[in-house]
Amino acid sequence: MPSSKRTEALYALLFISPFLLHLLIFFIFAFVRTIWFSFTDKTTLRDSYNFVGLQNFINLFGEERFLLALQHSIGFMLVVTTIQTFLALATAAVLNQRLRGITFFRTVYYIPSVLSSAAVTVIAIWFFQKTGFLNTFIGWVSAHSPVILALVGSFVLAQAVQVGLERMRGLPVAPTDPALAAISAVVAIALTWLLGAMGLVGPREARPPEFTWLTNPDSFLGLPIPLWSIVMLNIFTTIPTLMLIFLAGLQDIPKSVYEAAAIDGASPVQQFFWVTVPMLRPVTFLVVTLSLIGTLQMFDQVALMGDSAPLNSIIVMAYYVYNSVFSGEGQIGMASAAALVLAVLTFVVVFLQRTFGISEKAH
Amino acid sequence: MATQAMKPQGKLDERHLARQRWARAGWIYGAMLALGVFFVGPFYVAFLGSLKDNPLEWPFRTTFAQVLPKNWLAAWKLGQQGAGNPWLGGFAPGANIPFEVSYFVPEGTEPTPPTVTVPERRAGAGLGAIFDEVQASRYARVSPVEEVSRRPERIGDEVGQIVTYRFTISYPRSDAAQELPTAARLPLDVEAPRGQTFLTATLDPNRLERRGRVASWDSAAPGFFGYTFKNYVRVFREARDPNTGSSFFLRWTANSFFVSLMAVLINLVFASLAGYALARMYLPGKGLLFALIILLMAVPQQAMFISNYLVLRDLSLLGSLWGMIVWIGIDMAKVFLMKQFFESIPREIEEAALIDGANPITTFFRIILPMATPALGALTIMTFQGIWNEFFKAAVVLSGQQGNYTLPLGLSFFRSAYGAAGDWGLMLASAFLSMIPIVILFVVFQRYFVEGVSTSALKG
Repeated sequence: MPSSKRTEALYALLFISPFLLHLLIFFIFAFVRTIWFSFTDKTTLRDSYNFVGLQNFINLFGEERFLLALQHSIGFMLVVTTIQTFLALATAAVLNQRLRGITFFRTVYYIPSVLSSAAVTVIAIWFFQKTGFLNTFIGWVSAHSPVILALVGSFVLAQAVQVGLERMRGLPVAPTDPALAAISAVVAIALTWLLGAMGLVGPREARPPEFTWLTNPDSFLGLPIPLWSIVMLNIFTTIPTLMLIFLAGLQDIPKSVYEAAAIDGASPVQQFFWVTVPMLRPVTFLVVTLSLIGTLQMFDQVALMGDSAPLNSIIVMAYYVYNSVFSGEGQIGMASAAALVLAVLTFVVVFLQRTFGISEKAH
Repeated sequence: MATQAMKPQGKLDERHLARQRWARAGWIYGAMLALGVFFVGPFYVAFLGSLKDNPLEWPFRTTFAQVLPKNWLAAWKLGQQGAGNPWLGGFAPGANIPFEVSYFVPEGTEPTPPTVTVPERRAGAGLGAIFDEVQASRYARVSPVEEVSRRPERIGDEVGQIVTYRFTISYPRSDAAQELPTAARLPLDVEAPRGQTFLTATLDPNRLERRGRVASWDSAAPGFFGYTFKNYVRVFREARDPNTGSSFFLRWTANSFFVSLMAVLINLVFASLAGYALARMYLPGKGLLFALIILLMAVPQQAMFISNYLVLRDLSLLGSLWGMIVWIGIDMAKVFLMKQFFESIPREIEEAALIDGANPITTFFRIILPMATPALGALTIMTFQGIWNEFFKAAVVLSGQQGNYTLPLGLSFFRSAYGAAGDWGLMLASAFLSMIPIVILFVVFQRYFVEGVSTSALKG
């Protein structure tokens, strides 16, 4: 090795050594030590501990709360990843337009992702209270359901009549023709207003809310209602980030591909499914992977809920690990075993997604 | 969309197509507006809630006492009269506060003046109740209540009259040499006899009880902020350290700034050094290191924090902000960011410097780093935002040391301290206050945020 190369390597080592030291202590050593602890009965209080083999893992899978956490984590991951991937893609598709002021909207939508999970979760707990805004809003919608139904009904009717008339004139308009829909919207509003003025349609009286979100003992589709609240919260705060990733991917698709598809006679909906979706495959892969890892390791929102909801109804793996260390005797052995289960689960899920799910390569 | 025009449309003429394009743009703006309401609406209603006396009131009102300009003016004036402080109000020696209250008295009932009291009332629930504060009730003198006017009125099908009463609350100066204290608040209760219903007053009351017979004010001399942003003022006034008496919230804000800025500083220097070494310098085993880093990025935090907690405990750094800073250390993602940036600058510049005989350290700090300003800006903003919002590491390292909390942990502490009493005003107000620095940063540097996400995710 020439001496100049050796000097350069020494300098490089010097430059990188603070980072390496931090990596070594807080990641590599930490991970190895967690693996070691998972085979011992170490606690935070005692200094001495014994090797216990696989006992921690056997105990874990016999413990009700751990199984609950495991079940919640997997359910949470599946539900949130599915919903937020679809919604993020839909939002990105709406935002992917060359219109004035689009950057402004893009910025505004990003707000929920920028703010701290602590502040957003505190607001969310208020939102989910019995007389909080969510129940108020649902109550308002259900009280106004006759009006909303009348509005939607007259819109569909007006649109059908207009499209029918145009087609009778021989014009091939689509049922979703935007210009006709704009007229239909005006007609629908006027008609509903008229029906309201005539006293035929009106809101019902709103009743005080009965439904509770955070203290509800019931389950829906196998997940407790309080966990569904966290599902909603998590989707709300993560969509903006995923949407921006999708948007960057959408803007990388060359316009010529769309133009070619349009010449072949593809409608916008067909273009979306036959051009956009396949071209976005690598980005979708990234979004789904990020989402899977993020949801499996979700901690903040459960920890910040605290005693606003019963622990057994919202506990997930990440919180189970934290809670095992910081409550009671501080079962480090058990917590390490649970953390390893979570790590293995993460790797398995990412591997499965890579193999059987949306692949990385575009077709 | 431009592609729409390319579509063969049969017999649709150009005018029709133009009309469609306009309508389409209209629908898209409508959809974007609706999405905007979805993403920002919750914060707007929560902000309204944070201004209310009872954020959980049902039904939810969007118009209430605190958002009425009439009350802003009155609160301003009363604050001036109470302590010469139109913003925060108070009750100081020499104060002289005229106050009017109107009642509806149904026909057949003889109007009777209400009873006016300045009660002794402790501040809020939770931490505020621990401290002894100057009580206005010890110094306030209430003048006899006198009737000002009567005029006939009809409310619904009830016939009666509106009777207005006036009284003055004063704080006499003492003749003695001793200084009299200023009270922060002037609580007020006005109770009317049975049959009379409260209508209006100089300032709308914070609570109406017993079917509108008892009206009570948290402070009759609140000042503009003291009335409109009552819960925000309470965050600073009431949530104080029981040992030192200093404001928790200010302390936590300072802590958050300290940790975030230290993390920024550490990452600015060491992440760019490491990134430069990885991008440009000869280093055996570089490929192996990359593979290792990618692998470690997928390992959950939970699989590492146990050991890190014990390491920090052995270093006696638990409960200290330094412990959190040491653990945060140098972020892998930031090293990657810098590596990518350095790979994009032309090699000739450093080579010229190296030929001049400068050693790598001088070259790096004199020539390379000044060129990296845009990347360093992105790094600063991303690190600051990430650490300002960091909850998990704070919860592990700092738990139990309230004075050393950062804001996210502080909010969680408020939630447990005030949540039981249902004091949502204070919790919401503190949540909004904790967002201010990030919101300012976001408004000023929004490009970095929005572009940072897409580029780092797609190319990283």
